[in-house]
Amino acid sequence: MKKTVENRNIEEPLTLTVKSVINYTSSLYELQLDKEGYEFTVGDCAALYSADGKTSRPYSIASGTNEPVLRFIIRKMPDGVVSTYLGNLRPGKKVQISLPFGWFRPGQNRADSPFVFIATGSGIAPFLAFMKSYPKSKPAYVLYGVKTLPEAVGYGNLKRWSNVDLAVSREKIKGIYNGRLTGLLDRIPLDKQTHYYLCGIDSMVEETGSWLEKQGIDITSIHREVFFNAEE
Amino acid sequence: MQKNNIKTKSAHHHIDRHDWLITPDDNPRGYIQPQSIKELWFHTGTVCNLRCPFCLEGSKPGDNRINPILFEDAKPFIDEALELGVKQFSFTGGEPFVVKDTVKIIYYALKHRPCLVLTNATEPLLNRMQEIIKLKDNPNSLSFRVSLDHPDPVKHDESRGKGNFNLALKVLAKLHQNGFKVSLARLTLPGEDPNETNKAYHPFLKEAGLPLDIEIVIFPEFHLPGSNPEIPYVTESCMTTYKNEQTRSEFMCNFSKMVLKKNGKMSVYACTLVDDDSDYDLGSNLTDSMKVRVMLKHHRCYSCFASGASCSQLGF
Repeated sequence: MKKTVENRNIEEPLTLTVKSVINYTSSLYELQLDKEGYEFTVGDCAALYSADGKTSRPYSIASGTNEPVLRFIIRKMPDGVVSTYLGNLRPGKKVQISLPFGWFRPGQNRADSPFVFIATGSGIAPFLAFMKSYPKSKPAYVLYGVKTLPEAVGYGNLKRWSNVDLAVSREKIKGIYNGRLTGLLDRIPLDKQTHYYLCGIDSMVEETGSWLEKQGIDITSIHREVFFNAEE
Repeated sequence: MQKNNIKTKSAHHHIDRHDWLITPDDNPRGYIQPQSIKELWFHTGTVCNLRCPFCLEGSKPGDNRINPILFEDAKPFIDEALELGVKQFSFTGGEPFVVKDTVKIIYYALKHRPCLVLTNATEPLLNRMQEIIKLKDNPNSLSFRVSLDHPDPVKHDESRGKGNFNLALKVLAKLHQNGFKVSLARLTLPGEDPNETNKAYHPFLKEAGLPLDIEIVIFPEFHLPGSNPEIPYVTESCMTTYKNEQTRSEFMCNFSKMVLKKNGKMSVYACTLVDDDSDYDLGSNLTDSMKVRVMLKHHRCYSCFASGASCSQLGF
């Protein structure tokens, strides 16, 4: 049974089973849940709940629509009730999850227009979902910013798939740009027909969006997903 | 105002509980006896792309306290409201453009009456701009009221996210350029001179190419949903001493109702700001809900009483 807003009228969240937790660093991990019929659209988020079911936080879905698991790239926040709880779960445990929801639709105009993906940190999640769902629809360019190389989730696959630049801000690695993503803005291909999809922390999204507008890109071609106030 | 028999459940009352009819200090509660419906509001759901700490609805990403509505949920109420002579349909959330069916619902409503949408004018609206622009090709006008809480972008962005003041302003300008009517909503600032506060928006409006005489709706302190602030009780005596027939008729619950979906069920509520209190669930159809006397029990009823506030912008 497809679980969507259309045919679910309950207030209570759904329950899915933890498949695994993969730690990329001490503060960034991937939570995998058995999908169990949960269907979503690329770009959707889902709210995941704390142990007592009283607190929830929205996370972008990072898996392809046809994968058997739901993936979430989650940063552990200091004192974060939800992110800490989820990161300590063992396989087989149950997690409460909302129905999918979202307004960010990466590559939604892919049939008509070129598109570019720009992400920081766990903001790569919707673009990984796109890559796994539509591997033949390639963006013109991907700009990806992380603090350290181990945080660059999916970088290898992205590189094999598309034209990617990685910016690493807190460590120097030979052959990779050292600094914030916004130091590479001039590498973004500019074209009025292209759609630009930005996902990540608010400062990057604001700075990059403003820069694109200054280059003459219309705001209706700049699509933003801001991670804002995701934890207390 | 007529005295009602407060001890007996009458045709006017859907609840005969003592505290619905009588204030804690044992006076008959003030009330509004609705006249005819002029405006029907739809609550599209408490799901929102933002998580503002002051949100009057407690909306946030993934929130489902009030469920997202579907076209099939809304259509019967639009049809019933038209039979009752409604003049306008209005939409609030949450962020209405997060909800998939919102544009479809507005499209249907616009075939019959003017519509007003309350929005934060950020990503969800922007991502659907092309769909929204097509709504202009309708016999009735579509208006947007955009929240710009504070004339200082930094203070606005403290709650709504960095860059969202400028983004909302640009989206507002885009709507204006495309021929839609637009207005602003803001919060009352402590000790403010309202005209001076409104003027503080002018440089931003000018830069965005918006008219300086744009209507600005100012909201008083309404307190968070589910809160129970200490407020004076609104009694029958208050409603006759401090209000007259004209000012009583201006209460939104006199001419307006709100439809929403909770636990999968559509209900009619007395107004846009009392959906956290099931006493204001007036049933499942508009015709019956208009017969119910609305007792001014909710703390937000006092805000309306004291400030004359109204979410309505009929005929805007």
